[in-house]
Amino acid sequence: MSWKGKRGMERSNLLPRPATIVDIRQLTDKEKLFTIRMNEGGSLQYRPCQFVIFSIFGIGEAPISITSSPLDSGETFELCIRSAGNLTGAVHKLSLHDSIGIRGPFGNGFPLERIHGKDILIVAGGLGLAPLRSLINYVIHHRWKYGKVTILIGAKRPQDILFKEEVMKWENDSSVDTYIAVDLAETNWTRHVGVITGLFKYVDVDPLNTIAAVVGPPVMYRFVVAELLSKGIFEGNIFMSFERRMRCGIGKCGHCQINGIYLCQNGPVLSYRDARKLQEAM
Amino acid sequence: MDAVIEYGDVGKFILELLKDYDVIAPVEKDNRYIFEQVDDPSRIVYNYDTTILPPIKWIYPNNEVLLRFKLSDLTEAKPVNAFRNQALLFVHPCDINAINIMDEVLAEEPADTNYLARRRSSIIIGYDCSCPCRENILCYDKGYHKADKGFDILFTDLGNRFYVTAATDIGNTIIEKSNVFIKAGYSDQTDLSKTNWERDSAFKKKIHGDINRLSHVLKDEYDDAIWEAEGKKCLSCGACVIVCPTCYCFDVVDEVCPDMEMGVRYRRWDGCQIQSFCQVASGENFRDSAAERVRHRVFKKEVYLKKRFGRSGCVGCGRCIEHCIADISIIDIFNHVMERKKGHGEI
Repeated sequence: MSWKGKRGMERSNLLPRPATIVDIRQLTDKEKLFTIRMNEGGSLQYRPCQFVIFSIFGIGEAPISITSSPLDSGETFELCIRSAGNLTGAVHKLSLHDSIGIRGPFGNGFPLERIHGKDILIVAGGLGLAPLRSLINYVIHHRWKYGKVTILIGAKRPQDILFKEEVMKWENDSSVDTYIAVDLAETNWTRHVGVITGLFKYVDVDPLNTIAAVVGPPVMYRFVVAELLSKGIFEGNIFMSFERRMRCGIGKCGHCQINGIYLCQNGPVLSYRDARKLQEAM
Repeated sequence: MDAVIEYGDVGKFILELLKDYDVIAPVEKDNRYIFEQVDDPSRIVYNYDTTILPPIKWIYPNNEVLLRFKLSDLTEAKPVNAFRNQALLFVHPCDINAINIMDEVLAEEPADTNYLARRRSSIIIGYDCSCPCRENILCYDKGYHKADKGFDILFTDLGNRFYVTAATDIGNTIIEKSNVFIKAGYSDQTDLSKTNWERDSAFKKKIHGDINRLSHVLKDEYDDAIWEAEGKKCLSCGACVIVCPTCYCFDVVDEVCPDMEMGVRYRRWDGCQIQSFCQVASGENFRDSAAERVRHRVFKKEVYLKKRFGRSGCVGCGRCIEHCIADISIIDIFNHVMERKKGHGEI
């Protein structure tokens, strides 16, 4: 390796690109939807289930999944952010037209080439709907390319369901089957009460032709995967997104390492066949 | 170009070096050795055993400023990636090999551009080991007790003078520009061969069994009881990963200057042995027990890096053993798994 004679300023991989908040919507009492435009113009090229690193100078950075579909975005993209830590708490205090920094997109994203002509079963637990909304709207945009599309959504309470209007639209869309479960509900709740795996009894799948996409809290994965396997879906056709607190996005800082892989490079989407070989994944 | 230099002329050479480079060299501190920036050649120690922190930390420093920004204009941040030229002086082969490993890991795309900028501003002047520096090292087992590449110049002590090998254009230029070096002759080369042979016979193997099998053996011992046992001892202080010359995990932190006008984003060393390393905003910790963390450190060095780059990420310098206050020894861990395999008749 020749190191010399290559000095001078070069672009830092850790330097955020300036961006602006062009819309803010309150989704629930904990989550807001931010619409972002890159100051440099043009559209951010990304796949469903990729993430960006959101930056506020003076506060820090955090990885956030992109929630808009790449086909609907144009020159903007959307991030659904829950106020949970220092950075996300500060993000929630931001206003329209505030300047922020964006790095990325990072990660492999969902393997779209694998789902063409297939039945798709989407399992979204809690905040897992944020990255999966990108995939759902992508699939609905090209509805004719796919077979049966089934969406299972789980939340703690009815008021915690993200993107309620869109979820109702999916429920009313005859071309997709949408089922919703909440852990706790008032008496006027007409849908399923219980954990998300309770929805599988409504679902009929063709195991030879179904791709599953699963995103949710870590505790959910083992139970959901067991249901998917019991329905005969192949290990290589079950895809999950593994979230960690990535600091760098370039496969160096170590925080997203699971056994020998860096999720920000080789993930965050892994098939169950690959994840099963990683003892630290599940 | 190969040359020789008399002991008495090394100070003159360092003074010449100081004209073009910040010189980072081993000096004594409280009966130990550290790498420090020096202006006075007389402070430099040639014959040190090892340093507390490895010299790579001058290329991959703690609290390294990555960006500067103005609070009044958050649309722009300036990267900090132009550095003064520095010469790391009298670097031992284990540490040269560690720099080679770091080069390969951090240059892999997407590259760590800050590291590369500092690396390009650095020259490495090595110092060959003539014998083992301490008891708890395994550089010889791993073949890292000598360096074939990664240095610009290498000094070898022939007992009454230094043999000097230039391995790069910069190394050659430095030697040619200086008037304190004499071109090496046949007798110098004969003495070098003898010295190298004596060096190799001075080292002893520490690992019981074929070290080339180690990563395969470890993979089969993922659920061995040793991780629980070592985890019980481990205090999760992170000393082992802080002193390691091939640990590169980091955190990114913002700080606003007291004038509230400027701020910096910097990276600070972090380590997989720290309890909160894998904790996320929800409070979930993906590597919660000390046993899992100890296992991850050993596997990262010996299994994961080897799989990616074809060689072990542990150079056997022994610093993690020396600085562990819980007496955890990576040599003992390696030997434990090797012995278990032997017991099963698999080696």
